[in-house]
Amino acid sequence: MGTNVEPQAPRIVAISPDDGSAIDLRNPAIAAALSWAVPGLGQLYQGRTTKGGLFMAGILTTFVIGLWLGGGRVVYASWKPGDTRWAFVCQAGAGLVALPAVVQSAQLLGPARRPLFLNGFMAPPLAPGQYVSRAYAERLVSHEADIQADDFFDKPPWKQFRRDQLAQWHRQLGKFFEIGTLYTMLAGMLNLLVIYDAWAGPLGPSEEEKRRRAGEPADAAPRPGSAPPSSTAAS
Amino acid sequence: MITLAPLTLLAACPWLVEAPILASLAGRVPGIFFGLPLVALASLIFAATHHEDPAQIRLATVHWTVWLGGMLGMVLAAVLLLGWLQ
Repeated sequence: MGTNVEPQAPRIVAISPDDGSAIDLRNPAIAAALSWAVPGLGQLYQGRTTKGGLFMAGILTTFVIGLWLGGGRVVYASWKPGDTRWAFVCQAGAGLVALPAVVQSAQLLGPARRPLFLNGFMAPPLAPGQYVSRAYAERLVSHEADIQADDFFDKPPWKQFRRDQLAQWHRQLGKFFEIGTLYTMLAGMLNLLVIYDAWAGPLGPSEEEKRRRAGEPADAAPRPGSAPPSSTAAS
Repeated sequence: MITLAPLTLLAACPWLVEAPILASLAGRVPGIFFGLPLVALASLIFAATHHEDPAQIRLATVHWTVWLGGMLGMVLAAVLLLGWLQ
């Protein structure tokens, strides 16, 4: 009687640049997607818990601190002429934490003309002449110190804003608008490195590269326990 | 849930992000010091994406902090010098 041996699916591994050990990347595409959604989650999925926790704590903390410094207003998506928010392209790299901005923008510019969260969290600023729902206008008048009832024209069934809310935010927050924007942008951009780490493993130089830089011959005997000097291999 | 928790907190408690808190806490810190945590974070993430061993990550973080801080310090010094010369 012969024994049937199930062929195992090849595991995608990366080589640790520190000790040459193999790192099981599991499914790199899923890991990269998870790391975009929540920084570090892809590394946790791969069992690299220390790095996953480090990335998650570092990037999410920076993003939330930036949001706090900017009064909750520095993360918004806007593609209006005169207020194209290119910073959001970088902020979106932080993943799901930036997603409410897309929802708020789509709702405010959609047929309802009001953000999903009426308190305006991550909603884009109102431009001069922009139409909004009456409920959102009343909410702004009652909760925003800089906005008065006569800042809106009554255009039933809408209200038309007559000032520039972005200018008000800059005046109110001063340097913190830029500092908060910088923090949230950097969090998003650094997460791109984290996504690549989940996709392909550490970026550090291989043993062969280290030997080459040290001036040793490339075919020198590898250290005991070290793996072949390729970045990825299937075993 | 981990991601949504701080956002839910900020959305539910808008007073957490209002200007009086900024004025009392962050407003007292000179602007240049807000760059230091960013240098440290960038060094840490850069080191952690280049190594796997925690000891190597720590060493590389120090290396990158010194290198990045030095480069930015030189740029700052050049800008200050240009301002002083004008």
